[in-house]
Amino acid sequence: MLDSKIMKKLYKRMVSIVGTDYVHQQETDRVLNAHDAWPLSEAKLRSGEMLPLADMVVFPSSREEVSAILIAANEMEIPITPVGGGAGTCGGTLPIYGGIQLDLKRMSKIYDIDDQSMTIRAQAGVVGIDLEETANRHGYTLGHTPTSLRASNLGGFIATRSGGSMSSLYGKIEDLTLGLEVVLPNGSIIECKSVPRHSVGPDLRQLFIGSEGTLGVITEATLRLFLLPEERRFRSFSFPDVHSGLEAIRNIFRVGIHPSIARLYDPEDAAMSFSMHFEFEEGYCILLLGFDGDLTHVDLDDGKSAEICMTLGGVDLGEGPSKRWWEHRYDMYYPTRLTTSGYAIGDTIDIVATYDKLENVYHSMKKAMEATGAIVMSHFSHMYQNGGSIYMIFFTSQPDAETAWAMYKKIWDEGVAACLKEGGTMSHQHGVGLSRSTYTEDELGSAFQVLKKVKEILDPKGIMNPGKLGLGVRE
Amino acid sequence: MIFDETHTEQIRMCAACPKMCRHVCPTFFAWRSDSPTPHGRALLIHQAIIGTREIDERGVEVLFQCLECSHCLTWCKPEIDIATIVEEQRKALVAEERRPKGLVEMAQAIRQFHNPYSEPHMSRNNWLPIKKKKGGKSLFYFIGCTAAYREQEIASSTVDLLESLGYRISIGNGSSDEWCCGSPLFRTGDVELGLEQARHNAQMLNEMNVDEIIVTCPGCFRALSKDYPEHGLILNKPVRHISQLLNDIKDNLPAIDFMGKITYHDPCHLGRHSKIYDEPRNVIKQVSNSNLNEMERTRDNAMCCGNGAGLRTLFPEHAKKIGMERVQQAKQSGASILVTACPFCKNMLQSQSGNDLIVLDLPELVLQAKRGRKVKTH
Repeated sequence: MLDSKIMKKLYKRMVSIVGTDYVHQQETDRVLNAHDAWPLSEAKLRSGEMLPLADMVVFPSSREEVSAILIAANEMEIPITPVGGGAGTCGGTLPIYGGIQLDLKRMSKIYDIDDQSMTIRAQAGVVGIDLEETANRHGYTLGHTPTSLRASNLGGFIATRSGGSMSSLYGKIEDLTLGLEVVLPNGSIIECKSVPRHSVGPDLRQLFIGSEGTLGVITEATLRLFLLPEERRFRSFSFPDVHSGLEAIRNIFRVGIHPSIARLYDPEDAAMSFSMHFEFEEGYCILLLGFDGDLTHVDLDDGKSAEICMTLGGVDLGEGPSKRWWEHRYDMYYPTRLTTSGYAIGDTIDIVATYDKLENVYHSMKKAMEATGAIVMSHFSHMYQNGGSIYMIFFTSQPDAETAWAMYKKIWDEGVAACLKEGGTMSHQHGVGLSRSTYTEDELGSAFQVLKKVKEILDPKGIMNPGKLGLGVRE
Repeated sequence: MIFDETHTEQIRMCAACPKMCRHVCPTFFAWRSDSPTPHGRALLIHQAIIGTREIDERGVEVLFQCLECSHCLTWCKPEIDIATIVEEQRKALVAEERRPKGLVEMAQAIRQFHNPYSEPHMSRNNWLPIKKKKGGKSLFYFIGCTAAYREQEIASSTVDLLESLGYRISIGNGSSDEWCCGSPLFRTGDVELGLEQARHNAQMLNEMNVDEIIVTCPGCFRALSKDYPEHGLILNKPVRHISQLLNDIKDNLPAIDFMGKITYHDPCHLGRHSKIYDEPRNVIKQVSNSNLNEMERTRDNAMCCGNGAGLRTLFPEHAKKIGMERVQQAKQSGASILVTACPFCKNMLQSQSGNDLIVLDLPELVLQAKRGRKVKTH
């Protein structure tokens, strides 16, 4: 908490930039705007704990206002926590050291669609579903459909290096972002031009994609567009075990097929997600496939994929499970009585690895997490030619808050340690935020020093989202 | 404790949601902050229930910023009706004398004048000529405050239309006078004063020798058909919204070619709260030779006009911003005529429509068809 003299000065300065209506100091506003969708934050709120609060929430409307805010904050050495939709799952927008919560929701302009280049430009605060619906109206899709699409913002997509459920075909946000505008901590506004490829040194866009507000504030971006597919077809198979299911996925990508959806549910997750609705052998895994494109290509890809699956022991379940998942893909994001009762807490550790390591990572993480007493179920999704991600989902319920929060941390510690030991990477699309901040150095190894140096140069006063991404942790 | 176990559980779930409905919340649209959102309101109430923090002055404001449009419910898988929960909390705040000043003034106006506009009660209906007619089905037209004082075209069109269709119309006046239906009070938590109005109306309506009661205001419709019975005030004759009546006789309605495309805005109290979606559409299609172009957000996904639950009284600029957005959505549909079935909606939408969109209430449109007049569009 800032002292009253500094607060007064800061408030006056912020008001001079954005106006009185857009600087909120009341506790209610600071409470209601404080948290993202980190399960630990939600569990703490449910149980009656207060989360760390910013000293004020500031809502700019333009890059110029963002710039002026950062200049002032830099001068006064006030922490800045940028917020997009507040839909992240890692606590990345919690203002743990107070200061200013810089909320970009007012910056929600969608500029013209460039039909010729198939791109769309928008401000960072636009809600994902609004952007997608705008693209749809013109016959396009962004190809970026995270489960949080209704709540997350463009800036948050980019800041967390996020991925949608069809990233196997369309790519993750780092593949979809062509142009980027960022305001640096010193207030300077930089633009990474919208071009499909270049050879002018390192790609600076990638420095900021996934920077989680620690290096600057993303204010605008240009994204790629794809034609809405003529056909989206669903196909599902059951497999006797994880190994054969994974082999099927690997071989599908190996022959050059890029399904839009490729998700393999392990026996526990398959039972949880599909046994109520479909008949399949107990203890089997379920593979969901989806194909986007014109009819001819979809026919070919679907046929060839089915051939691969059946050769490897897959049992054809038709479109049912896959289509059902697609139609209900947002459902799991809603709270339920079970997940919000008492000191229940669940989360997902979304890791990524190459195929040579993926199965070992899965078994090791499952063993380590289950050893804590947690319920663990998993699915492989966001699959690519060289590997893919695993959603290691866990759930625990404890008698009191202290035990629950300690158990939550233990499950995370054990899970991530097992992942790193087997050569996996601890995050595929959810980012790092606060929940994984302490693992960053282990994950990046000696390369972490590069990240630290970059941070020191761009943000010498350490005002930008301190404590996140393993950077700027204060005593 | 004002919430039972079920509500408490629902509030906790909503407070723990990653904001899956926020993108359709009109007050999120107007403020672009997480405070005036369903999740924000649930979190405020949850924290008060479990003793984390009391609802402070700003919290009260946030709770009274809700339009009670229930659009969030359309997008809520656990089907948590946050509008009802907010209304319950408002009742407690009213009892604690903590409601916003603007709503205290509105309540005083209704107590004194029986309308929220502080207009003389004497002039409520006395401007509206009614033909003395014998025969025909007898209808009591419960006009409602907005059509009586602010949107008189709706009231006069309704009477003209119904009379031309052979109905015998009566309206409240003299000793059988109509008071505010109580809707603005029920929605903003003042049940006591709302019931004072309701008791008068129920007695007056039950003494009236007519076949049925017709309303043009969905707020009145919800009050008379739901709030009154919930409080034990049973009306002894059916209550219908004008869209239901016209739908039942639609085959007798004439059709003309309106110049320009027509779109329809679902009023929240008629649509989401009363599930009346098809009736007004059937009528529009009948009188316009099926010239109805839907907006993208329609039926249970229709955006609120911004003119509900006291928002325009308290935050006129934000309410207008919501109305302006709805008008833009109507224009995007390619329509040059926007039809609604609510005096509140019409009032808001017309105020934001500009020169390239005509806004009409349903009976006005049907009367135009009956008279064979084309609506002049720009």
